Amino acid sequence: MNSTHSDQVSLATRIGNRLRGISRLSPTATAGVVIILLFGILALFSDLFMTHDPVSSYPDRILQAPSAQHWFGTDGNGMDVFSRVIYGAKFGFGIAIPAVIIAVIIGVPVGLVAGYRGGILDEVLMRIFDGLRVFPSIILALAVVAATGQSLINVVLVLGFLDSPVFARLVRAEVLALRSSIFVESAVAVGNPTWRILFLHLLPNSIQGAMAQTAVRAAWAVRISATLAFLGVGIQAPTPEWGAMIRQGAEFMVTGQWWVAIFPGLALIFLVFGLNLFGDGIQDILDPRRRASK
Amino acid sequence: MADVILQAKNLVKRFPAGRSGSFVNAVNGVDLTIRRGEVLGMVGESGSGKSTIGRTILRLTNPTEGQISFDGKDITKLADKAVRPLRKDMQMVFQDPWSALNPRMKIGDLIAEPLRIHLNMSRSECRDRTEMLARRVGLSTNFLNRTPSALSGGQLQRVCIARAIATNPKLIVLDEPTSSLDLSVRAGILELLQELRAKTEAGFLFISHDLGTIKLISDRIAVLYLGRIVEEVPKYKLFSEPSHPYSQSLLSAHLPSDPNVPLQRMALQGEIPSPINPPSGCSFHTRCPVAVAECKRIQPLPEKISADHLARCLRLKDGKNIIPRDQK
Amino acid sequence: MSLLSVKDLQTHFIFHDIDNQLREARALNNVNLSLDAGQILGIVGETGAGKSLTAQSICGLLRPPARIVGGSVVFDGRELLTLPEEELNNIRGADIAMVVQNPRSSLDPLTRIGEQLVRIHQTHTSGPLDGSRQKAMEMMQAVGIPDPQRRFTAWPHELSGGMAQRVLIAMALMNEPKLLIADEPTTGLDVTVQAQILDLLKELVARFDMASMIITHDLGIVAHYCDQVAVMFAGEIVEQGTLRDVFLQPAHPYTQQLLASTPERIKLGAETPLGGQPPDLFNLPVGCLSQDRCPLATDICRTSPPMVNLSIDHSARCHFANPNNKTAKSKGKKNG
Repeated sequence: MNSTHSDQVSLATRIGNRLRGISRLSPTATAGVVIILLFGILALFSDLFMTHDPVSSYPDRILQAPSAQHWFGTDGNGMDVFSRVIYGAKFGFGIAIPAVIIAVIIGVPVGLVAGYRGGILDEVLMRIFDGLRVFPSIILALAVVAATGQSLINVVLVLGFLDSPVFARLVRAEVLALRSSIFVESAVAVGNPTWRILFLHLLPNSIQGAMAQTAVRAAWAVRISATLAFLGVGIQAPTPEWGAMIRQGAEFMVTGQWWVAIFPGLALIFLVFGLNLFGDGIQDILDPRRRASK
Repeated sequence: MADVILQAKNLVKRFPAGRSGSFVNAVNGVDLTIRRGEVLGMVGESGSGKSTIGRTILRLTNPTEGQISFDGKDITKLADKAVRPLRKDMQMVFQDPWSALNPRMKIGDLIAEPLRIHLNMSRSECRDRTEMLARRVGLSTNFLNRTPSALSGGQLQRVCIARAIATNPKLIVLDEPTSSLDLSVRAGILELLQELRAKTEAGFLFISHDLGTIKLISDRIAVLYLGRIVEEVPKYKLFSEPSHPYSQSLLSAHLPSDPNVPLQRMALQGEIPSPINPPSGCSFHTRCPVAVAECKRIQPLPEKISADHLARCLRLKDGKNIIPRDQK
Repeated sequence: MSLLSVKDLQTHFIFHDIDNQLREARALNNVNLSLDAGQILGIVGETGAGKSLTAQSICGLLRPPARIVGGSVVFDGRELLTLPEEELNNIRGADIAMVVQNPRSSLDPLTRIGEQLVRIHQTHTSGPLDGSRQKAMEMMQAVGIPDPQRRFTAWPHELSGGMAQRVLIAMALMNEPKLLIADEPTTGLDVTVQAQILDLLKELVARFDMASMIITHDLGIVAHYCDQVAVMFAGEIVEQGTLRDVFLQPAHPYTQQLLASTPERIKLGAETPLGGQPPDLFNLPVGCLSQDRCPLATDICRTSPPMVNLSIDHSARCHFANPNNKTAKSKGKKNG
């Protein structure tokens, strides 16, 4: 994408421009953005949309089917499913975004250093990261969270760490290609210390692939945290997190109270879908070859 | 020798060539002296090693053998960390301005980089100095907020020059700075370099394959062939009395743009041998019109033709180094 | 009647940009050329002048978004622009041949060079393979490739730059073309090799009585190997004529500036004419296309200058076309 000489232009305008640019270039990305924004609004302004208090139980209304009063029905504790689904959006974002940020903070510098330095450092780091990727993440996450305690922070940290190899690999690949280019040599000739070369010269030119992946990895984080909750690790009832809600609702499926699990399940699917669409669309925009084939 | 800014003795650089264990003999024993206020032009074709020499004396690549001393200090074996602060005083301008600049950095930041790194200037000092540098190289200050994609080749090369002179270096190496530019733009860049050279006390190494350009800007000229200096001479003498057969044929191959100037071609046979497998003895003997049997065996040492003129040719002794005019 | 006659050739770039707007750029405007057997025409200009585009337009090798939108190209009595693709294919590689720069990227890396020569001959004849092989050997000899027997089975990557260029020339000559177009044939080659290749071209043009076009940005090549010259700028021919007329009595300010920019004519420190930026084909000025960088530009230059005939063979597109206007000595605009 073209860089704009826009240091005087405010952040909001730039975001607006970017969004407009995206909507022009890829319907996929646009659809993704819409969905993400929708959930974002729900997460941020959940108070405006919730019909009831998500953690108050109404013992006289257990397992009621969807009605005018409780749009998504009530669950086994008499809590309003609709409000809990809305509130659960906070967790979707609250987990996914920090997890991806941690993954980027760990993965990108490792990729930069490994790619630029090469040699033994590169070998060692990449073997470690390869090992991480090969290991089934659910099992690892389960083990770590079980060992360190069932808290939200632990889940986020584990997810972030598990996801960093993807970013490391992407950045490293770009750096390997760029490190012998003339502008890097010119930067060395001018006297740049290594940290400036890595962060001011290599980073801006090698981050695109990684950036495109963030949405996809966020989707992964949402799924895994829901899965962990479903498996009884991490977040527990009565916290209105979708995975935990699905876990709780699963037992009622057999007896015909489908709404307890289905609605949080749909919300989960929808958010993950939106994140994937966005990530896909961004890759289309950034990679002209993919664009041409559509 | 107080005004010598760079001295290289017996510089050798070999690169591994593929996996077969063979080497590219890029530089094969070069002695070089650059003085303050002087432009040393290095001319040669492909395989001559001229670019490699430029990079080696700036320690952008490490010499295989030999000694480099910069401003009186031996920098041959210095660690990279120790070389970095020295870069305040030794800079390079690359051939292709489009690839030499970070495409995602603003022009102003690119020019200010050496100032931030070496001179620790405050933001506002930097900004003033950058604007001054832009004006000095004939670049509109409107460009300082743009990225390289918005500028033309000639403008980009001016940016590169501004970047190179920002810290008032003592040595500037220019590697084919005008070869990628259009004809009408080259004059402007050469003009600029001439101005800078008059105003600073820096020493310049100007590398080019084009004799015409070298003639314009250099004080002294070193002619390179397959990694060795075959002739070193003050500018005017190269064009009036070239001594080495290669210099003579190089000159004769140059095509003037005036159709009235007759060509005196000394058509060389064959092509430049590969630096992986250079010929024995004098590396030019395979194409030299005046070579004799001796030339195949013996590598000629530099011989002083006069105080400031030397050449490597066995035939200097018997005066037969001049290629006869009628030899076509 | 000339062998090649190009009249009022117009080539445009037409495409939809990112905002889905239709954009059209005039890449070639009113190009007029004629060439006879035995003549060597030099087309000279800087980047973006349209030199290669002219050659590609003549040969019908344009790819979208480039498109010929007007004019005529008559070769050997036939109008090429209306010829069906099949017939053009018969002419290309046979009657019209092209040699380009970067010879190694034009050769098929997976086929031995002898085979490639044979292939190109076989495409245009129905004769026996042996005949083609024989011809290939002859051609390799003619272009000065030493030891043709052995080199016949060489791979392209085994060749040096100069050798590869000779192979390209041999390929171009296999079918005895009437017109040979050489697009920057020596760019990237060493100076000493360049001399050999140009001498070779000149000799072959004479020997086979071909018409030839050399496209280059190097004025020295034109000065010593061409007898006709066309100077291009921003898609137009701004001056054309015999070599001596154009190079010794240039009448167009751009030609004068260009000649004055060669290293041997620059006097550093004196007031030299300085160039400008390459023209933006999407933002061409109204009237004379070089007015932004011309020291003689005045109000009248906002109207398109006519092609002024200075003599039978010499014309320049300028309101002030005159070998004596001494642009070279006047103050230039500092730019680029």
